[in-house]
Amino acid sequence: MKTTVLFFLFVSNLALTTAQAKSFVYCSEGSPSSFNPQLVTDGTSTNATAQVIYNNLVAFEPGSTKIIPQLATSWDISKDKLVYTFTLRKGVKFHTTKYFTPTRDFNATDVVFSVDRQRVKTHPFHDVSGGKYEYFDGMEMGKTIKEIKVLDPYKVQFVLNTPDATFLANMAMSFMGILSEEYGSKLMAANKKSDMDTMPVGTGLFVFQSYAKDSVIKYTANPQYWGQHGNIDKLIFAITPDANVRHQKLKTGECQFANEPAPADIPEMQKNPKLTVMKDAGLNVGYLALNVTKKPFDNLLVRQAVNHALNKKSYIDAIYMGNAVIAKNPLPPTIWSYSDAIKDYEYSVEKAKALLAKAGYPNGFETDMWTLPVARPYNPNGKKMGELMQADLAKVGIKVRLQTYDWPTYLKKASQGEHSMLQMGWTGDNGDPDNFLNTLLGCGAVKAGSNYSKWCDQKFNKAVVDAKVQTDIKKRTALYKDAQKIFKEQAPWVTIAHSTVFKAMAKNVKGYKIDPLGHDLFTFLVIE
Amino acid sequence: MKQFFSELYFELKKNRGAMIGIVIIFLSIIIALLAPVIAPHNPTEVFSDSLRLPPSFLEGGKAGFFFGTDDIGRDLLSRLIYGSRISLAVGFSVVVLALFTGTILGVVAGFYGGLVDRIIMRLTDLIMSLPSILFAIVIVAVLGPGITNSIIAVAVVAVPNFIRIIRAQVLVEKNKQYVSAAKLFGAGHFRIMFVEILPNCMAPLIVQASLGFSDGILNVAALGFLGLGAQAPMSEWGTMLSDARSFIESSPWMVTLPGLCILVTVLSFNLLGDGLRDALDPRLKKQN
Repeated sequence: MKTTVLFFLFVSNLALTTAQAKSFVYCSEGSPSSFNPQLVTDGTSTNATAQVIYNNLVAFEPGSTKIIPQLATSWDISKDKLVYTFTLRKGVKFHTTKYFTPTRDFNATDVVFSVDRQRVKTHPFHDVSGGKYEYFDGMEMGKTIKEIKVLDPYKVQFVLNTPDATFLANMAMSFMGILSEEYGSKLMAANKKSDMDTMPVGTGLFVFQSYAKDSVIKYTANPQYWGQHGNIDKLIFAITPDANVRHQKLKTGECQFANEPAPADIPEMQKNPKLTVMKDAGLNVGYLALNVTKKPFDNLLVRQAVNHALNKKSYIDAIYMGNAVIAKNPLPPTIWSYSDAIKDYEYSVEKAKALLAKAGYPNGFETDMWTLPVARPYNPNGKKMGELMQADLAKVGIKVRLQTYDWPTYLKKASQGEHSMLQMGWTGDNGDPDNFLNTLLGCGAVKAGSNYSKWCDQKFNKAVVDAKVQTDIKKRTALYKDAQKIFKEQAPWVTIAHSTVFKAMAKNVKGYKIDPLGHDLFTFLVIE
Repeated sequence: MKQFFSELYFELKKNRGAMIGIVIIFLSIIIALLAPVIAPHNPTEVFSDSLRLPPSFLEGGKAGFFFGTDDIGRDLLSRLIYGSRISLAVGFSVVVLALFTGTILGVVAGFYGGLVDRIIMRLTDLIMSLPSILFAIVIVAVLGPGITNSIIAVAVVAVPNFIRIIRAQVLVEKNKQYVSAAKLFGAGHFRIMFVEILPNCMAPLIVQASLGFSDGILNVAALGFLGLGAQAPMSEWGTMLSDARSFIESSPWMVTLPGLCILVTVLSFNLLGDGLRDALDPRLKKQN
């Protein structure tokens, strides 16, 4: 008996000393809503899917919005800007997992399979997991792409209906990640199509191992990865919704990276010699969406009154701890075509009251506001911001009931338009104004779900749609500036803040670059 | 009855802990009743130029805010004072609800026995087999978050204790001669249960009620902490505690003060409850 115990001790000891695996524990802020990047729009889910498991044809260079080759080695654009021909990388292997072993390399059929799942209604996978492709539809990719031609196994051609200035950037976005067609056929044969979105297979650096909701996601490095990478062997997402707990875990070394640090903890983290804190002006906007399909927000005067009633300055001080600037446009000031000429609705209780009286609500009304359940860069504490807004709106007679749901439910119910007022925000993910104005406020996005105000203004929509097909940047700028003016007049949102983004990690994590598009990239990380 | 209370007071006076408890409870009741008069500010008023101020007696504090302000600039002292209203009201409602239903069910179960007794007691066993706070969370999740619903949830969880105590007492009392005498005089069941037997079960009930008070306050604070209790902008201690948690390192007073309030209130009710038990329990009395 004693000898067996000793033997086990010896073996386990041996295992500990020989396994010098570099694990990287990432304290994330919430559970992903799916493992298929086509189905998600939030940064929390994108970090856990597109950034680790999948690759796109083209990608953004880490730390910038420049487009670089990924699964496509090169591409060619026709003179009329209607035909894009991609040459694909050879010898790229899909993940070998417990549930799937690929027999062939990545090729053009995988590209067609992935895009057509979102584009073609008769595609065998189109209706799987709800059949709603919020991003793809919001960006109107279905309308843009006319057809996809396979020229040979390593050459794919995208033919467009209209020229689209944002097309290449869109191809680099998370929802255009490449899925395995072979895995799809296998699942179809086994009649387990929905596994595609819960047991992912991609070509990225990390292979999915296991997931326990609200607890942990485990990945291991892909030994057959095609490109350059850092030295992480095991990637673990420790899902920790509480920012304070993430900070404590980072301090004790339980994780090497804490996502979304609470602004209150930043000074202390900066003092800690064991931690690195990086910061950057974020490409984001935090806003309060007013649902124009619900009474009384269908009334323009009411929307303007709410704009006047909220004291944004106090939110910047209290919620962002000063690490943000007041937003007057839906676009962040670092993006081109930002219109500085726009005048914001100033904070004025009297004006708000006067507008409400004019709208027929001299004594205000009762309504509900949904507060953001997770800390996001554009809003680190939704509940507290809600309480401030509640106090501000009470001053003009609007009685607000605060409510919230867990993050996936929140997104789902909000895209169905069940709310009256909704705290939301957006971190740009391709650096183009279209990604804000069209994705969040266009008429196409009402149906797709990402236009949370359900606001469809023909004049505004015409401007952003025209700007999209326009390739002359000066004309595009002019159109976007017009759009921002219409937006401000019609006030479907209360724009709140553009925040500074902070990232906190252990000192021995090297090679991290803040992504202006808001994601966390692990591919090039090195642990010393 | 009058004699009962004067004797009780005599016994209690000997117990210092219980006396401290009574004084604190008395004080907090006064504070709660006079909240609008004592509180220096409106608890929901936001002073956007005074965020996270430390208490005025510490460095950096401002004179107007004795206990400092919270993360969005509300006066902490006023919020704590108004919070005492909620906590005491909650404790009181929980006890009244649980006491009322628990007493009726307990007396009925003990008096009739048989099938009625078995049904009621198995139900209490069922509730008691679940961890109380977990069960309360389930109830609130079904009813929806809010202060009224959390009171109901916590009361439901507290009922079994009352049922068991009353039933045990009724089982002892119902075979005593005065009950037989009442029966011979032709008293109805209702009269025997609630007029003859119940007054003789008061002692353990009083003890349980005072302890139930503290349990109620604690459980509702726990629900508030989990975001299921009082909804904004109501100032409730448990909710204040959980909201301030992320500032534990930078502004510790924001967490400490509501925590202390919960501690002191709950402790004072427990002290009183223990004192009452010592005073009322005949077995403990003999030992002295």
